[in-house]
Amino acid sequence: MRNNDQRGWSGADFAVRLTILALTAVLLLALQQTGRLGRIESLVTLVTAPGQSGLATLTNRLSESLTTLRNYRNLQKRVSELEQINHSLIVETLRLAEVERENQRLRELLAFAETRPGFELRGGQIIALAIGQNATNFLNYTMIDLGSYHGIEVGMPVVNEQGLVGRISSVTNTTSKVLLITDISSTVNAILQASRLTGIINGSPGSHPVMGFIPQGAEVGVGEAALTSGMGGNFPKGIPIGQVVEVRQRDVNVVQEAVVRPTVDFGRLEFVMVITNFDSGQ
Amino acid sequence: MSIWRTSWLIVPVLGAAAIFQVVVGPRLAVYGVRPDLILLLVIARSLLAGRHDAVLWGFVGGLWMDILSGGPMGASSLALMAAALLTGVGHSAIFRRNLFVPSIAAVLGSAAFSLVYLAILTIVGYRFPPGLLLTELITPVVLYNGTLMFLATPLLNRFPE
Repeated sequence: MRNNDQRGWSGADFAVRLTILALTAVLLLALQQTGRLGRIESLVTLVTAPGQSGLATLTNRLSESLTTLRNYRNLQKRVSELEQINHSLIVETLRLAEVERENQRLRELLAFAETRPGFELRGGQIIALAIGQNATNFLNYTMIDLGSYHGIEVGMPVVNEQGLVGRISSVTNTTSKVLLITDISSTVNAILQASRLTGIINGSPGSHPVMGFIPQGAEVGVGEAALTSGMGGNFPKGIPIGQVVEVRQRDVNVVQEAVVRPTVDFGRLEFVMVITNFDSGQ
Repeated sequence: MSIWRTSWLIVPVLGAAAIFQVVVGPRLAVYGVRPDLILLLVIARSLLAGRHDAVLWGFVGGLWMDILSGGPMGASSLALMAAALLTGVGHSAIFRRNLFVPSIAAVLGSAAFSLVYLAILTIVGYRFPPGLLLTELITPVVLYNGTLMFLATPLLNRFPE
């Protein structure tokens, strides 16, 4: 293999090709930053989205099955004689458990929609499958199977029954990328429910988001709920964001910070809703 | 036979790996840190076939990563190519079948990838707190990738050079 390698790539040849590849990457970077790669990205995601969606479904089912199997093993130790009787029912139980969970999630999403009549949600199509998360550890995006064909636009808030997920950052015809509130570039105007203090929640790398710009001297309680404040008009007012788990206060600083644990379990994100329109005064 | 003509297969292979990474990777997260499957494949390729071939893998794999994620297009390619160049030293200068060489390569490659990728993100406008990033993300990522490569070393050693 080494000989093969050297035969295919002499030193000068390698340097030329390395330069070509690097320049191509830089060119792509420049084209994307100036918004000239949208059509190509749209075409590629059109091809890859079904694969992602299928694998996501398979992974979800496998994960659920593994969890059920772990429980099944514990049960087996205690009631081994019942195992044989129930063996034929296990497959059916797994299937029904999955249906039950999905049903429960959909009910919760429906309840979310019903309790917020000011939001314009798109019937059954608002429920999107989270089909993939970001490929690197440094950015926090997820991809959903709704795009401009479904009326999705950049900037629309994304939620699930647990709270605020993020907002749409880019859209192709059939898929969209969601900038999660945990991403370093995400900013959300927030209000603490009990103290009514306002601030801005930013994503933090490898950690929970942080609510900054809280005036020094104001009392912030651990456990307080953080909600969207509605300021700026980017998000509807009153969507749960998280709970304060730590307050960082230094006398030398003008403001203090609160670490906010999101209410949304981003590790198990499956279904989300895109708010296509909302009353910003709500 | 030219590498350019024979290596077209890496496009679908790395594409499948990238889809696996974005879909299954989050499920393999430990304390919020996900494994970098594409990076580990590129590093493994550099140890098996040398940096020349691995650079091409890094370019293609990086494009897939950037297409499937929200990151700047080309950033992952440049970062993976840098990692391949660095770890390719292990192919020609070091006996790669040593138990620790792949892990050390994974640690160094992960660090190189992180630094180059973050540098590009900074150039295009992202702002990171460097201290927090080093302790909370880069170090765990590097250790996680190094551990995974250590576990994969017996499998890696089955492949001919």
